[in-house]
Amino acid sequence: MTAQFPIETLRPGIRMLSDDQILAIHNASLDILAQTGIVMKNEAARDLLLAAGSWQSGDRIKIPEYLIMSAIGSAPSRIPLHNRLGELTMPLEEGKVFFGPGSDCIFTMDLETGERRKATAEDIRRIAHLCDGLDQIDFTMSMGNPSDVPAMDIYIHEFINMIRGSVKPTCYTANNRADMEDIYRIACAVAGGEMQLREKPFLILYAESISPLLYPDESVDKLLFCAEKGIPVTYPPSPNTGGGGPITVAGALALGNAECLVGLLLTQLVRPGTPFLYGMNIATLDMKSAIVSYGAPEWPLAMAAWIDLSRYYGLPVWGAAGATDSKVVDAQAGIEATVTVMTAFLSRCNLTHDVGYIEYGTTSSMEMLVVADEIIRGVRYAMGGIEINEQTLAREAIHRATPGGGFLADDHTLDNWKWAQWRPMLIDRMRYDNWLAKGSKDMAARANERARKILMEHEPAPLSETAEKTIQAVLKHRAS
Amino acid sequence: MADILAKIASELYEGEDETVVELVQKALDQGMAPAEILQGGLISGMDEVGQDFKSGELFVPEVLIAARAMHAGMNVLRPLLTESESAGAGKYLIGTVKGDLHDIGKNLVKMMLEGAGFETIDLGTDVEPQAFVDAVREHKPKLIGMSALLTTTMVQMRATVEALEEAGLRDSVKIMIGGAPVTEAFAADIGADAYAPDAASAVDTARELVA
Repeated sequence: MTAQFPIETLRPGIRMLSDDQILAIHNASLDILAQTGIVMKNEAARDLLLAAGSWQSGDRIKIPEYLIMSAIGSAPSRIPLHNRLGELTMPLEEGKVFFGPGSDCIFTMDLETGERRKATAEDIRRIAHLCDGLDQIDFTMSMGNPSDVPAMDIYIHEFINMIRGSVKPTCYTANNRADMEDIYRIACAVAGGEMQLREKPFLILYAESISPLLYPDESVDKLLFCAEKGIPVTYPPSPNTGGGGPITVAGALALGNAECLVGLLLTQLVRPGTPFLYGMNIATLDMKSAIVSYGAPEWPLAMAAWIDLSRYYGLPVWGAAGATDSKVVDAQAGIEATVTVMTAFLSRCNLTHDVGYIEYGTTSSMEMLVVADEIIRGVRYAMGGIEINEQTLAREAIHRATPGGGFLADDHTLDNWKWAQWRPMLIDRMRYDNWLAKGSKDMAARANERARKILMEHEPAPLSETAEKTIQAVLKHRAS
Repeated sequence: MADILAKIASELYEGEDETVVELVQKALDQGMAPAEILQGGLISGMDEVGQDFKSGELFVPEVLIAARAMHAGMNVLRPLLTESESAGAGKYLIGTVKGDLHDIGKNLVKMMLEGAGFETIDLGTDVEPQAFVDAVREHKPKLIGMSALLTTTMVQMRATVEALEEAGLRDSVKIMIGGAPVTEAFAADIGADAYAPDAASAVDTARELVA
C-alpha cells in the first residue's frame, strides 16, 4: 500500500449555546450597556469612555455598540504567556487548556498539622513551590492573603513569594496603582527590562468590577495601568446567580458579558492591542447558607456558555475548575473538582483557575491541589480521543491471540503499554492485602504525602540576583 | 567471571533479550557452567525483577519483557542443562480448574514461576480433577497450582484435592490455590497447602513450600 493520510483523531468538545443563543445574550449585553449603563468611579476611565462616544445619563455611563465592537476587533486573539525564564509555556489561544490555583484565600489547611489557620507569606511560597513541582499545573496564583506582613503590603508579598516559589507564569492580584508599580518594577527586573516583559510576559493581573455594574476607582486604575504598559490583564466580573447577578444563568451571562466587555473596552481605549483575557465567574449564591458555591453545577453550565461567547468574539478565555465547597478533601471534593475539570477540557477553557480551593474558596489546600493534579491528568487522557491506525487497531495481535488466553504477554502489549495505558500517580489500585499492609491510606492521606515529597525533593530555579536586589529595594522603599 | 553474570542479570532486568543471548553465549565460551549461568545470571536477574514488582516499582509488562529475555537466555542454555538442572527450583504443575475457562491470571503466575526458575507444566483451562491426578503421576511435580476466577468453579479445587487423596498422591505434592474469589481461609478449609493473593506472592509462596 502507498502511504495514506493518517485518520484524524476526534477530540471531544462541547458547546453549551447555539448560534441563536449566543446572539441573544450578546444583544442583551449591548442593551444593558447602552440603555441601563454602568457606574464608573474612576475619573480617568470616565473621561476615556465619554471622549470615545459614550454618554452620561444621571449617575450612569451608557456605552454604544460600535465602541464595544471596535474593542473586540482590536484586542488580540491570543496571549503568549511565558514562564519567568522566558520560555513560552502558556499560549492562551483557542483550543488550549491550562490550569492553576486561585488567589487570596483567608485560611490555609496546614499540611503538617491539618489545622485550618490564617495563611502566611511562607505558605504562599510553599504553595507556589508545590505548583512548580506538579506537572499538571501550569501557572501560580497566591492562594492566600499573608497574615504576617503589613496589611498594605500583602499583595507585594504574594507576588514575591509566588515568583520565588515557582518559575511558572503567575496570575497576580494587587490593591492599587502603587502595588502595580512596585510589582511592575520587580517583574521588569525578572524579565530583563520593560520591552522584554512586554514581548514575553510571565504575568497577568486579575482584577474585577463589582456586579452588578459598579466599577470601583482602584480596581479600574489597575486595569488602566496594565493597558498603559501593554501587559496582560483579565477583568472578570462575578455576577453569581441570586447574588451579584440575576438568579437565572442566562441573566447572569448577559450581565457578566456586558461588564467584562467594559473592561475590554477600557484597555483598548488606552492602548489598542492590550492583551485582555475575556471571562467571568458565575457561581450561585446558595439559598440555605448564603455562601457562593464553587461546586454547584451552575458553574460548569455557565462556564461552557461564556467560553462559547469568547469564541464568538475571538478572545482568549478565563474560567475556573478543581475547587470544592467541602471543608475537607473528601468524596464531595472529588466530585466537584472532576465535573469542573472535565468541563474546562470539553469547552477548552484557556486559563482555568481556582484549582485547590476548598470551603467555597475560603481555604487553600495543598492536598486538594495534588488531588486535582491527578484529576486533570486522568481527564486529559480521556479527552485526548482514540487514535486509530494500524498499530492501535492491533490486527496482528488479535489474529495470533489464543481465544481466552489474553494479550497480557503479547508483544503488542509489551511494546505499546507505556503509551497506550494511562497510569495513575495518586489514584489507588493496589490489591487489598497490599493496601492494608501499606497503611490503609485514603486519597487525602496519599495527597498529603505527595505534597510533602514534592516540597522536600523538587527545587524551583531561583530568582536572579538582580531580581532579588530589586525586591529588597522595593520592600525597603515601602517600609520608609 | 562474576562480572558477566551481573551483566546478564542487569540486561535481563532491562528486558534486552538479544544482549542476554549474546552474554549467555559469551559466558559459555569462557567455560562457565550452564547451571551457574542460569542461577547467577538469569534467575538472579528475575529475582530482582520479582522483588521490584512486589514493591510496586515495576509494572506487569516490564516483568513480562524481562521474562521474555529470560526465555531467550534459557533457549541457549536448555540443551546444555541436565534434567535436574533444567527443573531448577522444581517442577510446577499448573491449571485452571474444571468449568472455568479463564486463562490470563494463571498464565501470569506461570510466567512469574518460570522467571524464578521453576519448570512449569501447563494443563491449560477447564482441567478435570482426574487430569490433575494423571499429570501428577506422569510428571511427578513438587507443586500444583490451581486457579479459579469464579465462585461457582472454586469448589472444583476441593474436588481436585480429594481426587489426589483418593489416588494416594496428596502427600507427594504441595498444593497452592489462587484467583479472585479464593481466600486464605478457603485454602485451609479444603486442605490446600497455601494461598497466594497475586502472581508475585505466588513465587515467594512456591519457594517457601519447596525449601
